[in-house]
Amino acid sequence: MKTNPAVAVTGIGCLCAAGLNLKECMDSLFSGGCTPHPPSRFSSDHPTVYPVFEIYKTPSIGGTGPQSDIMLTAKFALTAAEEALGNAKLNRKILAGKRVGVCIGTTTGSTMNNEDFYLDYRSSGRPPMDAITRFLKSNPARVIAEQYGAAGPCQTVVNACSSGTDAIGLGASWIRSGLCDVVIAGGADELCRVSYNGFISLMITDASPCRPFDVGRKGLNLGEGAAMLVLESKAFWRKRNQVPRAMLLGYGSACDAYHLIAPAPDGRGLKQAIATATARAACQKSVDNIAFINVHGTGTRDNDRVESQVLNELLTGVPFLSTKGYTGHTLGAAGAIEAAFTIACLEAGKIPASAGFETPDPELPATPVQQETSVNGTLAISQSLAFGGNNAVVIFGKGDG
Amino acid sequence: MRIAVQGIGVAGGFGCGADQLRRALFPGEITPQNILFEAESNNHKFPAYLCDTSRLAEFVNKRALQRVDHFSRMAVLASILALEDAGMLQEDHQNFAVVVASGYGATRTTFSFLDSVIDDGDACASPMLFSNSVHNAAAAHISILLKANGPNVTVSQFEMSVPSALLAACQWLQEKDVDGVIFGGVDEYCNVLGYSWQRFFGRDHKADMKPLEFENQSAIAGEGAAFFLLTPDNGDKPKYGFIADVQIGHVEISAPKITENSLLILGADGHKLSGIHYARYTPPENQAAIYSPLYGSIPIGPAFDLAIAALSIREGRIFAASRGAGENSGLNIVAKEQALNARSIGCLKFSCSGEFGLIKLVGE
Repeated sequence: MKTNPAVAVTGIGCLCAAGLNLKECMDSLFSGGCTPHPPSRFSSDHPTVYPVFEIYKTPSIGGTGPQSDIMLTAKFALTAAEEALGNAKLNRKILAGKRVGVCIGTTTGSTMNNEDFYLDYRSSGRPPMDAITRFLKSNPARVIAEQYGAAGPCQTVVNACSSGTDAIGLGASWIRSGLCDVVIAGGADELCRVSYNGFISLMITDASPCRPFDVGRKGLNLGEGAAMLVLESKAFWRKRNQVPRAMLLGYGSACDAYHLIAPAPDGRGLKQAIATATARAACQKSVDNIAFINVHGTGTRDNDRVESQVLNELLTGVPFLSTKGYTGHTLGAAGAIEAAFTIACLEAGKIPASAGFETPDPELPATPVQQETSVNGTLAISQSLAFGGNNAVVIFGKGDG
Repeated sequence: MRIAVQGIGVAGGFGCGADQLRRALFPGEITPQNILFEAESNNHKFPAYLCDTSRLAEFVNKRALQRVDHFSRMAVLASILALEDAGMLQEDHQNFAVVVASGYGATRTTFSFLDSVIDDGDACASPMLFSNSVHNAAAAHISILLKANGPNVTVSQFEMSVPSALLAACQWLQEKDVDGVIFGGVDEYCNVLGYSWQRFFGRDHKADMKPLEFENQSAIAGEGAAFFLLTPDNGDKPKYGFIADVQIGHVEISAPKITENSLLILGADGHKLSGIHYARYTPPENQAAIYSPLYGSIPIGPAFDLAIAALSIREGRIFAASRGAGENSGLNIVAKEQALNARSIGCLKFSCSGEFGLIKLVGE
């Protein structure tokens, strides 16, 4: 397998329960983070209240313009994109006439499942169409493309919980193939009652703050947010003297082909995705230069067991952490948010404690870091596992700065 | 770009399999049989082209299909037919990717999940319906049933889902990550969709689609799936030619770049908001055909057009545009079947807001 030419990451934007921009998020991660609370935007008649990591301040983006009446997921996406482009010193004027693509992962952002509309449909048979109109206006990739006049490929990836990671990997391929000069790639998702009830029905949700890899882990907490990376071709960032924050060196994706909602016990898909990504990044023969791994680490029994086994086998001794204890599981946004954290930690040369992990599980051969840890090496991995047996892995290297 | 098309599998209002699609292309021989009146919301009947997946029983046992919904069944059936058509159904698919496009995902199951919550309470939400309602459920079922361990991705970009998803398929093949890609599109009809159509487009549903009458709204909802087995160009002549280019853009920024003398298969499907773009951007000097009256108005319509383009490449002829598609469009419409004469074929789709996708297929 050939190695991939590196794709530059020149800008990052991120918001989630841990913070409304990347700096706030990283400050929060390194100072203990936040705790989940009962959802404030919706209620449920479950006898148990399951806490969530919610963003309490609705982004003001969109104002009173045409994008004011769009779904929260799309607003999160726009907010993160604005921060990322600002960080990359790009704007609509500079991007005009350039080959700009948009590749965004989501789950709720592309699902026509408005409960109020459907209740009204069932009871009255004639609900107003506002909710459907809003849904049709809120495709996250299209919303960003319209905001910045992007004329290139526009793609919303709906690969469940690996959507954000896949979107970044696919967006990078557009740069490599010469299809785009710039790609805005990432993920966005909002909390909603449908996913809240759905995950509880699967019995993989914890009624307490989640504890990835801990012996007492009982499941995940849902979260929400968005993160965007600005990916650029070498010719483009060099021409404008922009120093990359990181280089995307490898992407691997593979499917367990095992079960709709459970990972393959032998971790076959994850192993294949790691093998592909490391081969593309030319680091498959040695783990010495890998500083750390930001794992999926949801806090469910099955996910954490499989990840621990695979990491112990393929990436022995490399420090790893889960950031779900700071953000909750943000579904289609998770891979992008964790990619943003991965780059920021690589820049800082340290990773925070894996929140929620206290007592090792004797069943797990590898466990995450328990305190803030300095890391060495120029590479870092971020990985996602998803419904459908999807596994996606991205590898970042330090930027030229 | 040079991606080989080795097999096609289709299921829709016209029937099931490439042969039934082919027969439907000959006016007078087969009329689409599945134009049914399904939904009855508010005492109003709604026409739709529906898809029968009963042929799936020939390939997959009942037990394996127990928890697979209609949306995924359509996709699984079409993907199996594509592999069978390519003579690859019994081969090892371990290093195959699965790429699925869908405008709206599993809508029936999505609303059935809401039914479980509304009828029985939050605590009785159905886990099976929830897990099948995620957009990538169809892709997952394909991977599981066909044991395809390569990358697996689902793209949802409304009418642009097919050209957008095709980019991912082509990328994986060009970078030689996989031996083949099971690629296709799937969308289903549901009563909420029917209701939404009534509200957005009025209740005066025409009996026939007239997609070439661009100023009129005549769309009839469809459902179905169209899948392909794609491989890298290995030097042999593939059964259905090569995908040579995929363009995606927006008319406010640039018009589609249409190859001179190519045949255009227009994705116009009776929506007047997108019809204006076909009228404006289809060069009158290019011959054009339109087949949406065979499969209905469906976000993944370009996948059906790509299947028809593949059949045209294989047989070296252009099928006449669907009878009754409309008149007076001002375009150079293919009225009678004729030789393709080694021309390329462009499948052109516009969304209502002006996005476009253009997939170019060549024989050599």
